[in-house]
Amino acid sequence: MTTPDRLRLTGATVYDPANGVDGVVRDVCIEGDRIVAELPAGAPRLDVHGMVVMPGGVDIHAHVAGSSVNHARRLLPEEHTADPVPAPRLADGPPPRSGTGGTVPSTFATGYRYAGLGYTTAMEAAVAPLAARHAHAELDDTPLIDSGFYVLLGNDDYLLRQIAAGELARARDYAGWLLGVTRAYAIKIVNPGGVAVWKDGGRNVGGVDDAVGSRAVTPRKILETLAAAAQALALPHPVHIHCNNLGQPGNAATTLESMRALAGRRAHFTHLQFHSYGGERGKRWTSAAKDVIEYVNGHPEVSVDVGQVMFGSATTVTADGPVEHLLYASSGRKWVNVDIELETGCGIVPYSYREKAAVAALQWAVGLELFLLAKDPWRVVLSTDHPNGGTFLSYPELIRLLMDRAYRDERLKGVNQKLLKSSVLLDGLTREYTLGEIAIVTRAGPARLLGLSQKGHLGPGADADVTVYAPDADRAKMFAAPRCVIKGGTLVVEEGQLRRAPAGARLAVRPDYDRAVTQDVKRFFDDYASVAFENYGAEP
Amino acid sequence: MTTAARTVEHVTCLGCGCACDDITVVVQRGRLTEAQRACALGAAWFGDGQVPDAVRIRGRAGTLERALGEATTLLRDAQRPLVYLAGDISCEVQRDAVAIADRLKGAIDSLAGTAASSVLGAQRRGRAGATLGELRQHAALVVFWGVDPEARYPRYNARYAIDPIGLVAAAGRRSRRVIAVDVGQGRGPADADGRVAIPPDAEVDALGAMRATLQGRSAGANGPLAPAIALVHEMTTARYVALVADAEPGPTPADPDRAEALIALAQVLNGPTRCALSMLRGGGNRAGADAVLTWQTGFPFAVDFGRGYPTYRPHADAAERLAGGEVDAALVIGAPATLPESVARGLGGVATVAIGPRASAAGWKPVVAVDTGVAGIHEGGTAFRMDDVPLPLRPALDGEDVRSAAATVRALRERLEAGA
Repeated sequence: MTTPDRLRLTGATVYDPANGVDGVVRDVCIEGDRIVAELPAGAPRLDVHGMVVMPGGVDIHAHVAGSSVNHARRLLPEEHTADPVPAPRLADGPPPRSGTGGTVPSTFATGYRYAGLGYTTAMEAAVAPLAARHAHAELDDTPLIDSGFYVLLGNDDYLLRQIAAGELARARDYAGWLLGVTRAYAIKIVNPGGVAVWKDGGRNVGGVDDAVGSRAVTPRKILETLAAAAQALALPHPVHIHCNNLGQPGNAATTLESMRALAGRRAHFTHLQFHSYGGERGKRWTSAAKDVIEYVNGHPEVSVDVGQVMFGSATTVTADGPVEHLLYASSGRKWVNVDIELETGCGIVPYSYREKAAVAALQWAVGLELFLLAKDPWRVVLSTDHPNGGTFLSYPELIRLLMDRAYRDERLKGVNQKLLKSSVLLDGLTREYTLGEIAIVTRAGPARLLGLSQKGHLGPGADADVTVYAPDADRAKMFAAPRCVIKGGTLVVEEGQLRRAPAGARLAVRPDYDRAVTQDVKRFFDDYASVAFENYGAEP
Repeated sequence: MTTAARTVEHVTCLGCGCACDDITVVVQRGRLTEAQRACALGAAWFGDGQVPDAVRIRGRAGTLERALGEATTLLRDAQRPLVYLAGDISCEVQRDAVAIADRLKGAIDSLAGTAASSVLGAQRRGRAGATLGELRQHAALVVFWGVDPEARYPRYNARYAIDPIGLVAAAGRRSRRVIAVDVGQGRGPADADGRVAIPPDAEVDALGAMRATLQGRSAGANGPLAPAIALVHEMTTARYVALVADAEPGPTPADPDRAEALIALAQVLNGPTRCALSMLRGGGNRAGADAVLTWQTGFPFAVDFGRGYPTYRPHADAAERLAGGEVDAALVIGAPATLPESVARGLGGVATVAIGPRASAAGWKPVVAVDTGVAGIHEGGTAFRMDDVPLPLRPALDGEDVRSAAATVRALRERLEAGA
């Protein structure tokens, strides 16, 4: 069928947790690109009896566009050769494009594959301000998803200078200016201070109170300054934090310190799995998921996404340059490092997580523990830190692990047990996520945490982003191939086939700030930057 | 037309891969009369901003409408079409050009292929790099490996690697030590603080021996490689090393393993110290072609859509395909004057469509030639610096009556996408 301007989906079981609807058979009405309360009786209908309807999925943290992602693509010709993506046969709208997949797909393939999973919004999690223009160009070539990005600020030299000088108001205004000029959505902090130390010829920071250049600058101070800035600028999403010491045994202590540093303040801690290890550096690894998630459970101001590790191929790509250097040194795989002037870093190492590898098995278990011990699904989002812990294509398998205890226990038996003694998974966690909870952790929750009031729900006025699944006891199968997906009122997947690929919208903020800061920033640019202040950013 | 001079500031130059964005262009009576701060290469690139405005079909003047019609027919009827991204077009035009190749199920290649050995080396090993401004902030030791940027990248030293002050290199040039590595004809800067000579036939061995030394595999401190080994010891004592080499082909063909050996050395230097390899790239927004092809197809150059999806044929680039008779029609987008000799030669043997600056002057006699403006002079958009930093283009002459490459290529794309 073509997409009618009005459409009534009838007969499905609806999961719309933001509106308190938990598995109720009811109609969903669409007019134009919005959900409406009612339609005239004669409006076109789509009979979806027996199906499950949810809002379109919302990915709160993925690496899908921009200079780091493109460096990763360039590094992986063998993956792209092995996973061709012919142009889909579309019914109408923009002509289809071919591409390639692998762990870091080409842009058009990324959009097609997200829509094929029923996801209609995705946030690129780490963009260097200097490359913002590049990230926007890639997102323009990524159809079907509404998208935005988080701009990297946790190792920014101008910002660190303001912190050193105690100029916190100026730090805030700088963040406001930078968000606007790069057309970003939120502030991202990656290994606060650690990347700056790495670029300055050092190794890294070891904890939240290490000095970063000046003794007045510490990871703690960076976290406090930017969390306060996000709040003062009234950003829809709080500061989005990748803590220090990612991937290191014993790093849970740093993670908890970081959370305590911001106690009482809204903050999102990303890919928490990679930050929830006990043990000691260089000696032993244990799970500290229980300690970390208990803190989260008790602090409503904290939200997280899990960053689950899934067995199979991955590509680690991050602004955390020093971490990737460690991974390169220990794995001997190919490695990209790009130090980005005055701002941040970039590191890439292709990787794979094997069931039989002790650390990978522990990482897998830690992620599941976080999910299963979380008390409030509204603050614990499903992610794999695509493509770091696995690709977004593994979300259906992850959903199965969460919903199907028998399957999970079976898989648990097959993994390396060496480091799992500390894992509460072995105690037989019986929890199984319900469809309503899956709807929260994959759409309603992330939309709410992002402050996207028109996303993640099916109430009147919401964007008409709707996914229809055919129920299946095998939840991986069910979530891997929605029967029908509607994006902004356009029927993009019909009978499981991608049929249309409209462009997505860009999500960006334009906060108010004291514009006096720009004079000082311009002076800094004139002194140190390699691009003109006037040419910086991504304004059209 | 006003006779008063006007100036446009912060203009990005695409004369080489440095993409200096501090040029002030003076315009008078519709001509560029000055490009302030531009080097000689840049001044030549800007010229006076005058470009021909012809549309030619089989050598005769024609209308744009007919030219696009002929081009559409020629390309649609081709069995093995090739799209080639030449220089001086924006990323926006490159994006449309890749869409055309996808639609035609053709092959596509670009000027980025001139640095194939460095791209392939990076695909095998990765890279340890930095944006140019980072070298400026941190580099304490700059090693020019067989290259003096003066000739082909004239402002590289002044704007990026050596002269300017940086956050750490607070005294600019005086904060840094510069070493010239002379590899035969490829000599480093004349005013370097130190020099090391390496025989061209020992270059890759020298790089390997330097790496082996860092990895604790003794390469022996005597013999012809001794200077190289002494150099690598010096490199480890610097806080941050910039290793600079030319990725573009030089006067003498480089060993195909050279680029990979440079990458491997730069990587291993991260450990004992920090090191970034800066591979110099040519101009015309070739880095943009690499970036766009990579994000749209997953491969940086030498892509073939013949199977209905992108496949990578890095050892069968445009020149090889043309020489091997694998192409029956070609679409060249960009300035023909920027084409590598081997590609231009091959184009003489097939039916071609050329759209771009001075297309009508192409030596290989295109069937259809449509002159357009130059990205960055007559039309805007985005271009990438050699280090993949995106920059906006500020056309000083965009108010002048010059045909836009972006609009022309878009019109051709729409024709090719319409109907079957």
